[in-house]
Amino acid sequence: MTRVWFGLAAIAAVALVGGFAVAEAQTGAAQQIAQRQDMMKANGQAMRTLTPMVRGEAAWNQQAAVQAATTLHNSARQIPAIFPEGTGPDAGKTDALPSIWQNWADFQAKAKAMETESAKLLELANAGDEAGFKAQFPNVGRTCGGCHEHYRAKRN
Amino acid sequence: MRPQRFWRTFAVASVLAFAACTLPAAAQAPDREAVRRGEYLFNAGGCLGCHTDVKGGGPPLAGGRALRTPFGTFYGPNITPDPDHGIGRWTEADFIRAMREGVRPDGAHYYPVFPYTSFTGMTDGDLRDLWAYLRSVPPVARPNRAHEVKFPFGFRPLLTIWKWLNFTPGPFSPDGTRPPAVNRGAYLVQAVAHCGECHTPRDALGGLDSSRLLAGTPDGPDGERVPNITPHPETGIGTWSAADLLDLLKLGMTPDGDFVGGSMGEVVRNTTSKLSDDDQRAVVAYLRSLPPIENRVTRRQNTPE
Repeated sequence: MTRVWFGLAAIAAVALVGGFAVAEAQTGAAQQIAQRQDMMKANGQAMRTLTPMVRGEAAWNQQAAVQAATTLHNSARQIPAIFPEGTGPDAGKTDALPSIWQNWADFQAKAKAMETESAKLLELANAGDEAGFKAQFPNVGRTCGGCHEHYRAKRN
Repeated sequence: MRPQRFWRTFAVASVLAFAACTLPAAAQAPDREAVRRGEYLFNAGGCLGCHTDVKGGGPPLAGGRALRTPFGTFYGPNITPDPDHGIGRWTEADFIRAMREGVRPDGAHYYPVFPYTSFTGMTDGDLRDLWAYLRSVPPVARPNRAHEVKFPFGFRPLLTIWKWLNFTPGPFSPDGTRPPAVNRGAYLVQAVAHCGECHTPRDALGGLDSSRLLAGTPDGPDGERVPNITPHPETGIGTWSAADLLDLLKLGMTPDGDFVGGSMGEVVRNTTSKLSDDDQRAVVAYLRSLPPIENRVTRRQNTPE
């Protein structure tokens, strides 16, 4: 009889641990998705700060330019790491397409392109090179669209 | 062949041969300027997108890209000058007829997935330039893939009725009362860049609803949501500045600092970003001149590729 109880307890324990593991994976994915979305929103905010300056609708503000370029550059460096496998549309509400993990090398290359272009942007901001910064801005923007074209569900 | 008929044929052929030999050489050599202008139109028309199998790593213009529609899946054909698999045996007149009338060299109708409904508006001069460019690209011997058309649309003669209902052939005619930039923008949007093929809603038979020009649709190609680009303040682009629209055409950036993806990302990269500054401004002027149409295009839930 004791053996039966032990057996049942063991099964219950395994089920409990398994349940926790699944739950944790789900929370993990949900957290990851939320973190990514926050980061992308911050990128959008950085773009909204920079656009009027680049267009000449707002005065050049070096400090704001450095800050926004830093946001973009930090995001770019994190991108591959915050897209671990198992955080696609099967794991939660996300626009990240499964093709990211089917074309991982290309996805990484596209993140790298943003890292490279945003590094140049940040450098120009730090140097106070207003004209150079404005000329570099579209190159960063193209890397955003370049990735969204293939790896984000259509929304616009 | 009777002798009399033979000699008549011979006489005609001799005259033609003589005429061909005496034509100035420049008329026969590809005109480099025409090719250059044609390449610009080729980009503005976004031809590459449908006629290249990018996902399958296919060579440019050799065909193969799948376009899923409610009427079936269509594969863009090879339009390189390969004589067997491409359009190498076509004449300029064949090409102009295909673009203007939606008719193949053998007389059969094209499915309107090939947007001749828009291209019909292109001028003869532009069509000739585009043809000159298409003759200049390297031929690729890649066979075409047959369309997978749903019943009963596989029966091409039905297209006669479709065209009668939905197609008005003929080049774009500018409106003399409007500024030249607006007319140029209208020509680019309506004819060359064929924006309405995705941005204008369609009726049950797949015809463009001309009363809702560019008002957007949830049923775009590949099931994508296509936004309203009329200047309606709440449901369209009415609150966008000209600079916002220019940034969209140049970079794909929207006023909220986001960047478009999906098909429009491709259109920005291949097409709108390659327009000249003047043409980009003309497109913006035209879009802002359109009557605003209220049409909220809601997003479908979780519809990845």
